[in-house]
Amino acid sequence: MEIHRYETIWFAASLLLIVGFIGTITYGAVGVGVEMVDDSGGTVDPDNLGSHERFGDTGVHKVNESHYEVNMIAVHPSFIPSEIEIPAGSTVTFYMTASDVTHGFKLVDSNLNTMIIPGQVSEITAEFDEPGEYGFVCHEYCGSLHHEMAGNLSVVPEDEWGGVDS
Amino acid sequence: MDSGTESASADAWDGEIETEIGHDEYDPYGTLTLIGIYFVIIALLWVFMYFVEFLGEGPTVM
Repeated sequence: MEIHRYETIWFAASLLLIVGFIGTITYGAVGVGVEMVDDSGGTVDPDNLGSHERFGDTGVHKVNESHYEVNMIAVHPSFIPSEIEIPAGSTVTFYMTASDVTHGFKLVDSNLNTMIIPGQVSEITAEFDEPGEYGFVCHEYCGSLHHEMAGNLSVVPEDEWGGVDS
Repeated sequence: MDSGTESASADAWDGEIETEIGHDEYDPYGTLTLIGIYFVIIALLWVFMYFVEFLGEGPTVM
């Protein structure tokens, strides 16, 4: 079989492009440290969240000087809590679950994006270096008031931070 | 009808072959240039999407 030289060029360029795609994804995962949201959060009884060690105590909790945890329940049409305040320069781990139907969590202007499923804990960790305001919304249609399901995350300068919820 | 079918296929190309070229003499550089431009656009869009829009957009799941 004769292969035209232009086709050879095209095959080579196409392979190079695919290698480039895989290379950038690998760089993101290994070099930058971008992770996928997985099932490492474990499972929970969605009918009994009130007595759960983590979800019976929603809000912001301090792990250490630079690491905070946010325990959040999504229940139509609200996030509990819907107003979150954390100090700048901190690492925040969100633990989220739903008590009724499948919800979503998208922190606008960031790459934080996950489903929130009854019975499953969605665990995502991110670093917030700079002060700023982020809105978050439910992006899985969850009922008649889905469009009102939103909240706000304030990243405030460390000296203005009001402390944890409890 | 048979003769009609035959003449239709024979009429598909009834001109004289003006120039006969070999496999490697066929040289569609215009097509190659166009595909090359598309290729560069796709590569640049990928770089923009991944490094600017994705990695550049604030906090990321770590």
